[in-house]
Amino acid sequence: MQNLRRRRVYFTLLAALLLQLLPFSGWLLQIKPDFLLLALLFWLLRAPNICNIGMAWSAGILMDLISGDLFGQNALAYALTAFFAVMYQRRLILFTVLQQSAYVFLLLFVNQVILLMLKSFSGGEYFGWTYFVPSFTGIMLWYAVLHSRLSINIMTRQQ
Amino acid sequence: MDQQQAPRFFIHGPSPFTRLIVFSTLSLALMASDSKFSYLTPVRQALTVALQPLQVVANSPFVLYNNIGEYFTSQQALRHDVDLLKKQAIYQGVQLQVLTSLKNENEHLRSLMEASKVSSPPARLAEIMYTGRDPFTHKVIVNLGEANHVLPGQAVVDGAGVVGQVTRVFPYTSEVTLLTDKELSIPIQVERNALRAISFGHGRDNTVNLPYLPANVDIKKGDKLVTSGIDGIYPSGLGVAVVTSVKTNVSSPFAQIIATPIAGIQNHRQVLILSSDTTNFVAKDIQQVLSEDAKKQLNKKEKTSRRSDAKP
Repeated sequence: MQNLRRRRVYFTLLAALLLQLLPFSGWLLQIKPDFLLLALLFWLLRAPNICNIGMAWSAGILMDLISGDLFGQNALAYALTAFFAVMYQRRLILFTVLQQSAYVFLLLFVNQVILLMLKSFSGGEYFGWTYFVPSFTGIMLWYAVLHSRLSINIMTRQQ
Repeated sequence: MDQQQAPRFFIHGPSPFTRLIVFSTLSLALMASDSKFSYLTPVRQALTVALQPLQVVANSPFVLYNNIGEYFTSQQALRHDVDLLKKQAIYQGVQLQVLTSLKNENEHLRSLMEASKVSSPPARLAEIMYTGRDPFTHKVIVNLGEANHVLPGQAVVDGAGVVGQVTRVFPYTSEVTLLTDKELSIPIQVERNALRAISFGHGRDNTVNLPYLPANVDIKKGDKLVTSGIDGIYPSGLGVAVVTSVKTNVSSPFAQIIATPIAGIQNHRQVLILSSDTTNFVAKDIQQVLSEDAKKQLNKKEKTSRRSDAKP
């Protein structure tokens, strides 16, 4: 049972990584949500014994590789976001879908703010408000997935 | 046992806070070492190669879509393309004839003046695989890498002009920074009056800036900017951008000059990577000097051995 769950977590994270790798360009790239972070948050809230801060950090390292950023930038942002997710994990699990989504939106936003700070430390520029669009599309995707057949499937099979 | 109902006390391992401290120090250390030293470049290259299969899988639907689109191109579109290319070939054939005679003449004159020859660097066609993941940096990944002898710093051009520069080389791919990226600057010359300047990428819009030029500078709207060639990276005379606006501000001693790139940096699939000959020349020079040194040393040795032979 434990193994099955573990495998499911890894599989979803791999799928999220593949989605992240899709060669979008133009405005699609600008609105692309952070699939990997969404998948991580999903499992951080539902299976904190399998998906922990260490896994979030490793995923961040992979993101650094993919995006060609400074090593450890995304990793730090993911680890901090994962920490905030885990901190209130047991309270969050009792919330309604809407309340949960609000908190997840906050987490996505915090992740982007941390990344923005790190990037401006390493000589980035002012990105404009469109920088935060992925948070909005991300939370839309989160809400859609939680309401769809897919997430119910995952959750019922898990219990 | 389900984790959600279990009390926190039964979870094994360190607390989230400890984990956070450990991993954030780790990433801070990584960031510091990556930005100041280049220890991590081999690690990055190895991991990128390991990620390559995933990349191929992720790219495959788009490649398939493109291939299908190409397969079902209408006959009309093809005929249109063929007509266009034929016309182009005729025009360019005429131009080429003039060019070859001019080239010969130029070489002759240069040899008369004992000036160094202008070399046309060999170029290699590369295909853009995908644009960078970060929408706020202007980078593309092309399908030639270390295995194809691409070096960081090489210029990337297309039919119309400069596209950018190779900034990072992986074993089978390389990263090209476009000239609109904030990090890239190109030494340029105004074609009309040979005024030298440096163009910087704007970063957000698809434009380039010419900062640090005085307010009374002789640059007009519509001026063509070409590479000056004094950096040894870009061959001289390649088109870079066309000036779109020149503004002067009373409060600033500098003119605000904005230009749009000539090369179709947004809508190409293929680009040319110019192999810069300078590195080869330097290497050849060094080799020549070394071999001469070796010869001299050999001669000395022979002489001394002869002397020692002669003495007893």
